[in-house]
Amino acid sequence: MKLEGFGLGLRPVHYEALLGESHTVDWLEILSENYLVPGGQPLQYLERIRARFPVVMHGVSLSIGSTDPLDRRYLADLKELARRVEPAWISDHLCWTGVEGRNVHDLLPLPYTEEALAVVTARLGEVQDLLGRQILLENVSSYLSYRDSEMTEWQFLSEVAERADCAILLDINNIYVSAVNHGFEPSSYLRGVPRERVRQFHLAGHSDMDGHLIDTHDHPIAAPVWALYREAVAHFGPVPTMIERDDNIPELGELVSELAVARAIASGESREAA
Amino acid sequence: MRLYELQRELQRDLLGHESAIATAILEAPPLPVQSRLGIYRNAYRARLIEALDDLYPILHRLIGDETFESLGTRFIEAYPSQHRSIRWYGRELADFMGETAPFADQPILSELARWEWTLSEVFDAADAAVMDRASLQAVDPERWATLAFGFHPSVRRLALAWNTVAVWQAESNDEDSSGPERSPEPVQWLLWRRNLKNYFRSLDSVEGAALDAAVAGRTFTEICEALTAHVPEADVPLRAATLAATWVDSGLIAAV
Repeated sequence: MKLEGFGLGLRPVHYEALLGESHTVDWLEILSENYLVPGGQPLQYLERIRARFPVVMHGVSLSIGSTDPLDRRYLADLKELARRVEPAWISDHLCWTGVEGRNVHDLLPLPYTEEALAVVTARLGEVQDLLGRQILLENVSSYLSYRDSEMTEWQFLSEVAERADCAILLDINNIYVSAVNHGFEPSSYLRGVPRERVRQFHLAGHSDMDGHLIDTHDHPIAAPVWALYREAVAHFGPVPTMIERDDNIPELGELVSELAVARAIASGESREAA
Repeated sequence: MRLYELQRELQRDLLGHESAIATAILEAPPLPVQSRLGIYRNAYRARLIEALDDLYPILHRLIGDETFESLGTRFIEAYPSQHRSIRWYGRELADFMGETAPFADQPILSELARWEWTLSEVFDAADAAVMDRASLQAVDPERWATLAFGFHPSVRRLALAWNTVAVWQAESNDEDSSGPERSPEPVQWLLWRRNLKNYFRSLDSVEGAALDAAVAGRTFTEICEALTAHVPEADVPLRAATLAATWVDSGLIAAV
């Protein structure tokens, strides 16, 4: 399936609006874990949504950088969901979420080391084999970095993608959030990633904590993130783009309007869209 | 620090245990190391409390923000998540409240948690087509003696000693509830999903006994035997057949 244009993260509060009215939403990204349930309303809605929209699957539990064994049951369930949904692609995050059988349900940063590269690359090879497809890995926002890191985050992401032959989901907001929290130049990140591997952009809002930023997904997209998005579009060309909103979720129409700003920026119609 | 050690130490820090992770973290503006770790510690706790709030909204309203947060914090300490999906986090809350002061002093709270967890199980239990009355009537009368009932995967049973459901309902509808009252006998409840909606009702002892036998996969003859303790023997077959028809009409039966 080829996927183009501008999408939204599917949230249950928008099920009816998405199905009931016509909106300029080209595709939807589902949170895979929300549909890894036995049955009932979530799967019923998913089926109806899928009949109307192209869909991509986005997960938070792969824990690709963990030193724990791979969760093969999770992967089998993910594969089964993909069989039902036929997504354009499956993505998760370049991070880890727990060790020793625990899940802290957070996207924790990895040290950017050869050791971590080897762990991620080996596991990614196995994951892509088991799922029978190439997956996309997303850069996470982070609030700490490790003394042991031997390279930049974008070098690490690029190395993972090249060595394991995976694709990249670039979260423009996460780049900006991490840039502020760690003091790097966000443009360097964009320029440091292999262009041909970037298949999707995420946009989202964050919270300004007076000196540092938190990736809260509960605000409209901030002006500097729009500016970075403009730069990303100029550098990478047209890449399917979507908005994630997880808290203070507004009416669908408001997100569709925000998406129109992304469209305008991507089409070069507006230098001042934000 | 090796990767596994670094991950173990950061996780220990998030879970509130003593940890050597701070030495592995870069000291750099704009934030000191402890503040950086603090962001993750707060996010960890907030996310799990939010997950508990999703599952236990009425319990939360009943005990208020402060108590719910302190309950959540203590539960998270006692039960770190082992689930890949946060949907399944929090199942043990009712047990935890039943054995932990001060919540154990108000046993209705533990029952309320069990009730809300069960509702969540009913909500996304597996789907199955259900049988209608016509298909039940079409069953060959000779087969009835050995008939066993397959229930919809959402069917759940609960025995509650308190007026938990009345309190839950009042709180859900923003009405004043009468306060906790212990029933003379525990009340049997049946919960199930039909057309994507959750349903529940209480059961009398006759239907409770019949359902116990039927859910356990017993045949119609065996279900009748289970009823002889509750119903005059001559009335048993009709009573059992009537119950079976009621279950079919309610959408409880997936197959016979």
